[in-house]
Amino acid sequence: MVNFDNAATTFPKPETVTAAMEEALLKYGGNPGRSGHKLSLQTAEAVYSARKICADFFGAEPENIVFTLNCTHALNYAIKGAMRENGHIITSDLEHNSVIRPINSLAKHGAEYSIAHVFPDDEKTLCSFEELIRPDTKLIVCTAASNVTGQRLPIEQIAELCDRKNICFIVDAAQGAGVIPIKIGGGINFICAPGHKGLYGPSGTGILVSDGKYSLKPIIEGGTGSLSMDKEQPDFMPDALESGTVNTAGIYALGKGVEFVMQTGITEIFCHEEMLCQRFLRGLQKIGGTKAYRQRGALYVPIVSFNAEGFSSNELASLLGDESFCLRGGLHCAGTAHTAIGTAPDGTVRFAPSVFSTAKEVDDLLSCLKKILQKP
Amino acid sequence: MATYLLTTASITLANKACDILKSNGYACAVERTPKNLASGCGYSVRLKGNIEYAVSLLESNGITPKDIISQGEDGG
Repeated sequence: MVNFDNAATTFPKPETVTAAMEEALLKYGGNPGRSGHKLSLQTAEAVYSARKICADFFGAEPENIVFTLNCTHALNYAIKGAMRENGHIITSDLEHNSVIRPINSLAKHGAEYSIAHVFPDDEKTLCSFEELIRPDTKLIVCTAASNVTGQRLPIEQIAELCDRKNICFIVDAAQGAGVIPIKIGGGINFICAPGHKGLYGPSGTGILVSDGKYSLKPIIEGGTGSLSMDKEQPDFMPDALESGTVNTAGIYALGKGVEFVMQTGITEIFCHEEMLCQRFLRGLQKIGGTKAYRQRGALYVPIVSFNAEGFSSNELASLLGDESFCLRGGLHCAGTAHTAIGTAPDGTVRFAPSVFSTAKEVDDLLSCLKKILQKP
Repeated sequence: MATYLLTTASITLANKACDILKSNGYACAVERTPKNLASGCGYSVRLKGNIEYAVSLLESNGITPKDIISQGEDGG
């Protein structure tokens, strides 16, 4: 099987990640932060080592790294936690449902939201956000890059805008973390990232990073191993947002995944994957009868969304799957984004390589695609 | 050499404190805060050496120990 569905989750994982899972299950079997015995303490140290690696990666303090189950959980913690009172939220029209649905849910309880259009020109995109700001705008949340097309949003400029206007800014780094540099601070107050995509950790891991400026109202409360006589949730990080036993093996392995990304180099990873995307785009053009959703002037992370004449996206993805090529068709949990690019309700087929993908695999996929499209 | 117990609010802060102190040459370890010293649960760092410098190192890294308890000399 050849996996080109790495935007959903990267596979394969680096050897250090799989080895770390085994190591953690064999060695770090205590409940971290719950007891004073050696097993618990050495497990806590293993979790802390991963926290420190993630902190270095995102430019945060270790205690401002909160481990979650995935990026969706991190986004829910951040979006709902930041909106302590009702107010106005701005997001973009390229968002995943992990942003759209929490906002929509808040809107049912009195919050209001506006959707900024994303243009190929970053200046225009920035203007479309700025024009929507109202006196009661409390939050801007947007993706660093669309999970459908890969189009990047000008998050640094939006962060500056938020900083200037004193608006909380949350970045959904689901498709950006590990392929483009995203650091906390400079107006970015929260970063939400999956552990299992570009950071090469296992499924069941996610990260919420804070710059410490805003405190989030917890949406999950419970045991933290701290202040146990107090009925109130601790207000300090990460305990405020990290209730219940953590995914020790996953977190420890995620640390190794982030280490792998740092050692390989984000620029190296980006260049390798984007080179494969360009190869794929050239191949699509040669085959003909296809449409790729990339616009001149826009910046992208290494993702290519496309369609082929005469096939629904799911049908084409299924035919490719029959030939052992794993690509995702449909709406990618991002109906809003597909509406924005004009591909709703059928969606697109998404090509998403990883650092382990090869040029030969791309060529084989193109040959297979050609055969499917040229069948009478 | 004098031994001290620095109590912190959480395991993460205790691990962070220990990490900073170790990288500055201190001998230290994380342990559960003794019941008589904790209001609820908590973790502490047991360290040997100059307490004033240790505390200043921690404070410059955003960690203020909840309590500093002298454990006396260990004869070392």
